[in-house]
Amino acid sequence: MVIDTLKCVGCSDCVVACQTENNVPIGYCRDWITETVNGAYPNIELELKSERCNHCENAPCVRCCPTGASHQLDSGIVLVTHDECIGCGACIESCPYDARYQHPDGYVDKCTFCHHRTEKGELPACVSVCPTKCMYFGDLDNPNSEVSKLLKNRKHKTLAPEAGTKPHVYYLI
Amino acid sequence: MQEEIFVSGRNIPNIDPSLEVWHWPISVYLFLGGLAAGLLFFASLITIMGKDKEYPAAVKFASIVSPIALTLGLLALFYDLTHKLYFWRLYTTIRIESPMSWGAWALLVITPLSFLWVISYYSELFPKFKLNYKFLDNLENFLKKHRKNMAYALLPLSIILGIYTGILLSAFNARPLWNNPILGPLFLISGLSTGAATIILLAKSAKEKHLFSKIDLMLIVIELGLIVHMIMGMYAGSEVQLEAMQLLIGGEFTLMFFGFVIILGLIVPGIMELLELRGFKIPVAVPAILILIGGLVLRFVMVEAGQITRYLY
Repeated sequence: MVIDTLKCVGCSDCVVACQTENNVPIGYCRDWITETVNGAYPNIELELKSERCNHCENAPCVRCCPTGASHQLDSGIVLVTHDECIGCGACIESCPYDARYQHPDGYVDKCTFCHHRTEKGELPACVSVCPTKCMYFGDLDNPNSEVSKLLKNRKHKTLAPEAGTKPHVYYLI
Repeated sequence: MQEEIFVSGRNIPNIDPSLEVWHWPISVYLFLGGLAAGLLFFASLITIMGKDKEYPAAVKFASIVSPIALTLGLLALFYDLTHKLYFWRLYTTIRIESPMSWGAWALLVITPLSFLWVISYYSELFPKFKLNYKFLDNLENFLKKHRKNMAYALLPLSIILGIYTGILLSAFNARPLWNNPILGPLFLISGLSTGAATIILLAKSAKEKHLFSKIDLMLIVIELGLIVHMIMGMYAGSEVQLEAMQLLIGGEFTLMFFGFVIILGLIVPGIMELLELRGFKIPVAVPAILILIGGLVLRFVMVEAGQITRYLY
């Protein structure tokens, strides 16, 4: 997933769309908006971005899970099998992005990149509703996909790369 | 100057503003697990050395504590699970990369062994409660014969249990305070020290008390060394580690860490044990209880402070 921080206006449509699409319980969310102010007045810079699970290549949550409930698909998407999760919280502790939470039903839940939609060729809910079209979803292994081209041509960053997780949500800056 | 404001969405209970997924049962378990590891380590070591007649508290009386501690610890762990009915999923797989997985398997072996150890001493421990069942007597006799074999199994297992309580935390690279390799040895030594303190409390002969006071004194010195190591390593670390260290050095956990862990939990009992060994009349129960409290507070400080620390981005 690629997110253009220069286009994001922080409207939180992606948050609401996710909560509706995935029946996220009230008071919880799988994605959120951060607002970062950099610099000292008068030279300040505002960065808005939508954050979620980074579906890391070297996912610490998958490594720490004692039952194998947290797993990684061949496509790189990290999912949680609810019936295998014991709710120990190890994955929540292991995530540098705090992207996971304990669902009121007990199991651990997080962003799935809307796996049920992308399987059918649809876009994740957050991407499909973004009014400024600042989010892009696609196959990073395919050099001709829109996301690969964006990363080739634009300056970008990932969140906390020093954590060694190789995150797969890229922010254009 | 950098400022980050969360404007929406991040009002997840137990995650914002700081992570509180692991509550007091985890700290209590880490303490009880370390205590049981220490007790089983000394019981099996002394049995292997063939000195079980000379040190009855270590092999016999204190060994009642370890199955109780392990059972309470396991109950605490179970209590902190949020998807409790699926706990058996731990035992449908072995995941080498997850410390919690091999910890769960180690506990599955070590808990029954700790019970069997007590059964092997049943008639000596509870002479008044003689159960007249033939198979129980047979079991006790059988276990008595194989006590040394149990000790050979328990010695490495207790070390694994003691280290695992630390590695469990240090495997999480997302929490900079936990993510330091000293935590494994630190928790092992602290567990052995609390085990030795329990043996001092239960020992009757002066010889046994003195031996374990000496052992405990050595462990206290090692533990202080490891804590200095940990702090030095963090100070030489990256920004996230420096900020994590601030919680212990000049933050909300400073009093707990320096007051209860380092001063009251290590230095004061260390000096008292030293004076006692030199011939001063000091009831050894005082340093032993201080060490137990210090061990418990150490687990609480590490678990709770660790969850506040995070990556900055």
